Amino acid sequence: MLGGASLIWMIVLPFVASAVAALLPSNARNAEAWLAGAVMLAIVIMVMLSYPDIAAGNAVRQTISWVPELGLELVFRLDGFAWMFAMLISGIGFLVVIYTRYYMSPEDPIPRFYMFFLAFAGSMLGVVLSGNLIQLVIFWEMTSVFSFLLIGYWHHNPAARDGARMSLTVTGIGGLALLAGMLLIGHAVGSYDLDEVLASGNLLREHELYTPILILVLLGAFTKSAQFPFQFWLPNAMAAPTPVSAFLHSATMVKAGVFLMTRFWPVLAGTYEWFYIVGLAGVITLVLGAFFSIFQQDIKGLLAYSTISHLGLITMLLSLGSPLGAVAAIFHMMNHATFKASLFMAAGIIDHETGTRDMRRLGGLLSAMPITATLAMVASAAMAGVPLLNGFLSKEMFFAEAIEHHADSWLDTAAPYAAVAASTFAVTYSIRFIHSVFFGTAPEPLPREPHEPPFFMRLPVLLLVLICLIVGIIPGRTVGPYLHSAVVSVLGDSTPYYSLSVWHGFNVPLMMSIVALVAGLLMFLVIRTYLATSEEGPPFFRRINGQRIFEQVMVTVSWRWARFLEGWLGTRRLQPQLRLLVVIAFIAGILSLWRGPMVPDIRLPASSDLVFSALWVLGMACAIGAAHQAKFHRLVALMLLSGAGLVTCITFVWLSAPDLALTQLLVEVVTTVLILLGLRWLPQRVQEVETPAQAFWAQLRRYRDFAMAIACGLGMAIVSYAVMARQPPQTIAGYFVENAYPLGGGSNVVNVILVDFRSFDTFGEITVLGIVAITVFVLLRRFRPAPESIGSTEQQRHQSADDPAAKPGAGTIASDYLYVPSVIMQWMFPVIIVLSAYLFLRGHDLPGGGFVAGIALASAFILQYLAAGTRWVEERLRVLPVKWMGWGLLIAAATGMGSWVPGYPFLTTHAQYLDLPAIGKVPAATALFFDLGVFALVLGATVLMLIALAHQSIRKLRVAKTAAVAGQEAQ
Amino acid sequence: MTELTLSLAIGVLTGSGVWLLLRPRTYQVIVGLSLIAYGVNLFIFSMGRLRSGVPPVLDRGGAVDPAAYTDPVPQALVLTAIVIGFATTALFLVVMLVARGLTGSDHVDGREP
Amino acid sequence: MQLADHLDIAPILLPLVTGAFLLLFDERRHTFKSLVDVAATLGLLVIAGMLVAQADVEGSVASVYLLGNWAAPYGIVLVVDRLSAMMLLLTALLATAALVFSLARWHKGGPHFHSLFQFLLMGLNGAFLTGDLFNLFVFFEVLLAASYGLMLHGLGVTRVRFGMHYIAVNLAASMLFLIGVSLIYGVTGTLNMADLAVRIPAVPAQDRALLEAGTAILGIAFLTKAGIWPLCFWLPGAYSAAAAPVAAIFSIMTKVGVYAVLRLSPLLLGARAGDSASFGDIGLLIAGLVTMTFGTIGVLASQAMARLVSYSVLVSAGTLLAAVGMADAGVTAGALFYMASSTLTIGALFLLVELVDRSQDPAANVLAVTMEAYGDDPDEEAIDEEVGVTLPATLAILGICFVLCGILLSGLPPLSGFLGKFALLSAALSAGDDGAISGMAWAFFAVLIISGLFAMVAMLRVGIRTFWAPPIEGVVPRVLVVEFAPVALLLALCVAMTVRAGPVMAYVDATSQSLHSPDAYIEGVLSARQAPSPKMETGR
Repeated sequence: MLGGASLIWMIVLPFVASAVAALLPSNARNAEAWLAGAVMLAIVIMVMLSYPDIAAGNAVRQTISWVPELGLELVFRLDGFAWMFAMLISGIGFLVVIYTRYYMSPEDPIPRFYMFFLAFAGSMLGVVLSGNLIQLVIFWEMTSVFSFLLIGYWHHNPAARDGARMSLTVTGIGGLALLAGMLLIGHAVGSYDLDEVLASGNLLREHELYTPILILVLLGAFTKSAQFPFQFWLPNAMAAPTPVSAFLHSATMVKAGVFLMTRFWPVLAGTYEWFYIVGLAGVITLVLGAFFSIFQQDIKGLLAYSTISHLGLITMLLSLGSPLGAVAAIFHMMNHATFKASLFMAAGIIDHETGTRDMRRLGGLLSAMPITATLAMVASAAMAGVPLLNGFLSKEMFFAEAIEHHADSWLDTAAPYAAVAASTFAVTYSIRFIHSVFFGTAPEPLPREPHEPPFFMRLPVLLLVLICLIVGIIPGRTVGPYLHSAVVSVLGDSTPYYSLSVWHGFNVPLMMSIVALVAGLLMFLVIRTYLATSEEGPPFFRRINGQRIFEQVMVTVSWRWARFLEGWLGTRRLQPQLRLLVVIAFIAGILSLWRGPMVPDIRLPASSDLVFSALWVLGMACAIGAAHQAKFHRLVALMLLSGAGLVTCITFVWLSAPDLALTQLLVEVVTTVLILLGLRWLPQRVQEVETPAQAFWAQLRRYRDFAMAIACGLGMAIVSYAVMARQPPQTIAGYFVENAYPLGGGSNVVNVILVDFRSFDTFGEITVLGIVAITVFVLLRRFRPAPESIGSTEQQRHQSADDPAAKPGAGTIASDYLYVPSVIMQWMFPVIIVLSAYLFLRGHDLPGGGFVAGIALASAFILQYLAAGTRWVEERLRVLPVKWMGWGLLIAAATGMGSWVPGYPFLTTHAQYLDLPAIGKVPAATALFFDLGVFALVLGATVLMLIALAHQSIRKLRVAKTAAVAGQEAQ
Repeated sequence: MTELTLSLAIGVLTGSGVWLLLRPRTYQVIVGLSLIAYGVNLFIFSMGRLRSGVPPVLDRGGAVDPAAYTDPVPQALVLTAIVIGFATTALFLVVMLVARGLTGSDHVDGREP
Repeated sequence: MQLADHLDIAPILLPLVTGAFLLLFDERRHTFKSLVDVAATLGLLVIAGMLVAQADVEGSVASVYLLGNWAAPYGIVLVVDRLSAMMLLLTALLATAALVFSLARWHKGGPHFHSLFQFLLMGLNGAFLTGDLFNLFVFFEVLLAASYGLMLHGLGVTRVRFGMHYIAVNLAASMLFLIGVSLIYGVTGTLNMADLAVRIPAVPAQDRALLEAGTAILGIAFLTKAGIWPLCFWLPGAYSAAAAPVAAIFSIMTKVGVYAVLRLSPLLLGARAGDSASFGDIGLLIAGLVTMTFGTIGVLASQAMARLVSYSVLVSAGTLLAAVGMADAGVTAGALFYMASSTLTIGALFLLVELVDRSQDPAANVLAVTMEAYGDDPDEEAIDEEVGVTLPATLAILGICFVLCGILLSGLPPLSGFLGKFALLSAALSAGDDGAISGMAWAFFAVLIISGLFAMVAMLRVGIRTFWAPPIEGVVPRVLVVEFAPVALLLALCVAMTVRAGPVMAYVDATSQSLHSPDAYIEGVLSARQAPSPKMETGR
C-alpha cells in the first residue's frame, strides 16, 4: 500500500510538529492539543495502512545516503515487530495527547511540553524503525535526552531536577555503552546494516569480541529498561507529569531496552553468557520490583515498581533462549503497555481530582468516581493476571516457560518459584492499590472534593481497558495475526507453534496462577493494617536507597575525586610550569641525542684565539653575575646583562657578521633604556627573614634549579659544538651568495636576504614589533602604579628635605641634575638624524638598513625626552608614532603589491642604481621602499614604547588617588 | 678553539638564563629571558659554522665563490630573532609593570606565596 | 600572473592592510572602525571559501605561491592545500562570530581592539599558509603578539595575572622553537618544509641524532602551544580570564599547534623519512591520551562555566594529538572532522557562557567592562549602555543553545560532535594492519567515550544549576540580538556539518590522504615555476 517514503514521514512529522509547537503562544492549549493529536493520529493511520506490506512477511525498507565514508546510512525498516511497536507508540501517544489536554493546568508553559513530547515520539519511532545500528543509537540517545527534558518539565520542584538528572546520567551511560557495542558489532560484521548483522548470528556468537559486545549491548538495554542494578532511576522519574509517565515510563521508552534485546535475540541469545547475565538480571528485577511495589504509598511509585517487575519478567523470558519464551515476551510487551498506560492515566485522574497520590490519605473514591474506579479495577486485574484479561494470557505463557527445562543450572530450577512469588506479589499490590484507593474511607478529608473527570479525560483509559478485555477474551481473532507477524519477523524460520486460546485445560501453569491469586490475596489480608500507616518503601530495604547511593557515588567520583586530581595533576603557579617546560624540552633533546654518536669527526679547530676566549671569560662572568644579582640589585644586574650583550656584539663583529653586531648594539641600547625607565615602578626588595625550615626548603629548591640550569647549559653547549664540529651540509646559502648581487642588486648578502630573498620574514617581524608597540601603549594607557612607587624619588625627597626653598615634591637641586648632558643631547639630535639617514641608504650594500636606521633615530628622540623632559619635547615636535607605524606597514605592503602590476608575485623586487650628489651611487632597488616602510614602523614602534613608558612619570601624580584604591583592592 | 669558547659561552648564557627563568620574581624572569635570547641567538649563528676574518660583503662583479663567505642565512635568522626578542622583552617588561601595579606584587603569580 | 593568482596571499594581506589602515584613525571612531573591521572579516570569509573551493578539486596538487618570485627552496612559499584552506575557513568563521559579538560592547574595552584583532587573523592565516619553517616561526610570533594584546584586552587583575603566565610560557616556548628550527637547519641546510622532506631521508647516520633532537625540541614548542599535558596549565586560566569574544577566537589558537604537528609529523617523519620514520608518534599518542584524561578531570572539577569550557579545549586538543599519534589516514580524517566541530562548538560556548553568566549576576558584567576598562581614564568616554534590540524570550533561547552546546560537547547524537567521535572511534578500531585492535586503540576508544560521558555529567550539573535551579526566576539577562546571532551562527554551522556530513567527510578524507602520502605536496612545491623574470638583464 504505502511505500517506504511513509516511514520517513512517520519520523519527520513529529519533529516538524515539535518545531511548530515550540513557536505557538504559551496559552494556546487547544491549538497545541489539536496539532499533536492530528500528528499522532496521522501516524496511527500511516502505520495501519502499511500493515498489508508487513503481513506478507517482508520488511519495508527505505534508505537515504548520509555519510557513505563511514558506512553511515539512514535506513528505515519496518517489519512485523517494528510495526507492533510503531502501533503502540502512535496509538498510546494519541490517547495520551487527548488525556494531556485535560490533565495539564492553564498555568503550565504548554508549548515546551508538546515540543518535547512530539520530539520524543519522533525519536522513539526512529528507534523502532532504524535499520542501521548507529542510527538506532542516535535515536536511542535522543529518547534519553527528551525523557530528561520531560521529567524536568516542572523544574522548580527539586525532585524533578534530581530525577531528570539521574535518568539522563544512567540512560546516557547505557547509551554510550550501546554505541561502543554497536561499533564493535560493526567491526566484527563489517557493516552497520541491521539486516546484515541479523544474518551473521553465528559469526557474532563465535567472535572473540562476543563477550564485550554482549556486555556493552546489555548495559544499554538494562539501563533503559530499568533492569537490576539500574532500576532505581525509574521511580525517581515519576516526578514527571503523569502523561509523561504513562507514555514514556510505562508504555514506550522503558520498552526500548527489551525491544533491543528482542531485536538482537536471534544473533546474541542462546549462549551461556546470555542466559546467565540476562536471566539473573531478569529474575532479580522481577521479584524485587514486585516486592517493593507492595510497600509504596505513592500510587505512581507502586505503578513504577510494578513496571520494573514486569520488564524483569520480559527480560527473563528473553534470557531463556527458547523461541516460545520470545513469543511470550513479545506478547507481554503489548499487554503490559496497554494496561499499565491505562493505570497511570487513572492514577493521574485520581491525583488531579483529589489533589493527592498518597494511598494513606486516599480511600472510598468508589462512590465519588464509579466509572474511573471500574476502569482502574479492570486494568489492575489485568496487571494481576486475572483470567479473561490480556495480562493473564502472557502470564500463563510465562509460567509454561518457567517450568520448562532450559539450561542445566540452579537459575533454571529457581525460575518457577521466582515466577510464582513475583505474581503473588503482583496480586497483592494490585489488590492493595484498588482497595486503599476506592474502598474504605479516607482517614482525613481530601485536599479537593473528588468527582468524575471530564469525559474526554476518561476516554483514553476506557479505550485501553476495552483492549485489555477484548484481547483477554478473544485473543486469537484480535491480536493473533499481528502478534504472529511480529513473532515471525523476529524468529523467522524458528517460529514455534503456539496457541493463544484462553483455556488450555487444567495444567501446571493454571495451578500456579491459582496459587498466586490465593496467596496474593492472603498476603494482602495479612499486611493491610501495616500498609495503612507504614512509611514509604519496603521494610529492611528502606535503608538501602538506590537514589542516595547513586548521588553519593556521583558526588564522590565526579566532584571530590576530580577536584583532588585536578589539584594533584595540575598547577596554577607559573614556576612549576616553566620548570616542567625546561625539563621536558631537555629530556626530549637528550633522549633523541642518546641514539646517535655526538661528535663524529672533529674538524681541526679554527684559529685558536686567546683574546676571544678572554673576552668570553668576561662575558660569562657578566652573565653569571647578572643571574646572581637580579633579585636584590636590579641595576647591577641590568649593567651586567648589557655587559653580556656587548660581548655578544663583539663576537658578531669578530665572526664577520657586522649587521648582527650593529643591530644587536642598538637594540641593546634601547632595551636598556626601556628597562631603566621601568625599574622605577618595581617594589623595593628587602631580604625577608625566613625560618630555618623555609630556608632549608628554599635552599633545596635552588639546588634543584641550579642543577637544571647546569644541565640545560651543558646540553646547549654540547649540541652547538657538535654542530660546529661538523662539515656543513649542502645548504641553500650558496644560492644566496651567488645571486645576491646579480639578482638581488645588493652586495650585502644578509641585507639582501632580509629585504629580498626572505623579505616576507622581515615583513612579519616588523608586524610583530608594531603589534607589541600597540599592546604596550594600550597597557600603559591604563597603568596604575602601586601606591608606594608614586611621588618623587627617594634622592629627590632627601634633597628637598635639606633644601628649605624647595617646594614639596621635586627637589630643586635634583631638578637640574641633567643640565649639561641635556645641552649636548640637543646638539646631538641633527647629527643622529643624518647618521640614521646614512645607515638607511647604504643598507643594501653595507651593514645598515631600515631597521638599524629606525632604531637609531628613535634613540635620538628618546635622548631628547631624557634631556629636556616630555613636555619640552612635545611642545616642539609633533610625535605621532601610531600613525607612523600604520604608514610604515602600508608602505611596505604597497611596495610588495606594486609587483603585481607587472604581473609578479608579492614582494618581487626590481633593482636599479641612481646617483645622489655627495653620497654617490645608491641602490634604488624597490627593496629600498620596502626598507622605508620598515624604517617608519621601527621608528614609530620604538618611539611609542619609550614615550608611553616615559609618560608615566607625568601621569603618576594624577592617578595617585585611584592607585591607592587599586592597591587596597589588590591586597 | 673558537668553537669551544663559543659553545661554552652559549652554554653559560643559556644556563644562567634558565636559572633566572625559574626564579619567582618577574624582574629575574625578564633578565633570564634576555640572557637566554643571547644564548639562542649565538646558537642560531653557530649553526652556520664559524668563519672569522672573511669579508662580510661581496665585492662587486665577477663570479663569487660561496665557500669564501660565511653562511648568511643564520645571520638573517638571527636578525629576525633579535628584533622579535626585543619586542617580546619590551612587552614582558610592561606586563610586569602593569601586573605589579594591579596586584601590588612583583611575584610571577601576582601574589606573595 | 593575473590578479586572481594572488588569491593565495590575500588571507595574509587583507588583515594586515586593514589593521594598519585602522591605526591611522583616532580610536574613538568606534563605528567607522567596526564597519571596516566587519567588512574586512567578511571579505576574509569569502576569500577562505574561494580557497576551499579551489583546493577541493579532484586530484588537485597544492597551489603554491612563490613570494618575491624566488623558487623553492630558496624563497619563502605559501602553500594552499585542502588542510590549510580548511583551517583558513574555520578561522574566518570563528573570527566573524567573535567580531560581531564584540560589537555589542567588548570592542570598546580598550584602544586598538580592531587592529589587534586583524593582526591576530593575519598571524593565524600566515601560520596556516606558509611552507617555510622559519616563516612559520615568524607567523607564530605575529599571532602570539596579537594574542597577548587581546588576552589582556579589558585588563583587570585576573586577566593580567593569567596573561603574564600565558606570555611567559609562550616566550620560553618560542625560544625552543628557534633552537629547534636552527638545529634542523644546521643539519639539513634548508628551511623549506618540502625540501626538508626530501633531505631528511638523506641525512647521514651520524647526524640523525642531532636532527631528531631538533625535531623533538621543535615538537615540544608546538605541543606547548597546543596545550598538551603537562605543558597546558597556563591554558585554563588564560582562556577563562580572557574576554568572551577573545576566548572564542582563541579556540582556534591551540589548533595552530595541532596543525603544525599534523602538517609536519607525516611530512617530515612519515613513512618516507627513512630511519626517522614515525619518530615520536607513540609519545604523541600517550601524551594525547593523558591530556584527554586531564582535561576531562578538569571539566568535572570546574565550577565556573568559562573554566569548564577552557578545560574542554584541552580535551579536544588531547583527542586531536592522540589521533595524530595513531598515524593512520582514517583516524586523521576523523580527527579533522572532530576538530572542525569541536572548534566551532567551543567558540560558541565561550560566547554563550558570557551571556548566561549575566543571568547569574546581571550587574556584574557591565561593571566588569566599565570598571576594568575605564577604571581611571578621564580621556575615555564612559560605555554607553547597550544600544540595539534585545532578544525576546531570552532564557528559553539561551537554554536551547546551551542544550545544543552540551550535546555537541559531550558528543551525544545526533549532532556533528557525535559524528566526529564516531568517525574517530570506528577508524581507531580498524586502524590496525590486520583486523586485530591494538591496545593503544582500545585505550583511545575507552578514553574518548568516557571523556564524552563526563563532559555530559558536568554540563548537566552546570546547566541544571543555571537554568533550572530557582534563582534564575526573575533575573532575565539583557542579551542583544547582535550578541546572540554569532552563537546561533556557530551552532547552525555545526548542524549544517551534521546534515551535510557526507561532503564534509569526503573533504577531510581527501585531506588526510594527501597528508599521509605527501609526495604530491613535495612535488608541487619544489616544481613550482617562477614568473619569467626581467632581473637577468636589469641586474647589473
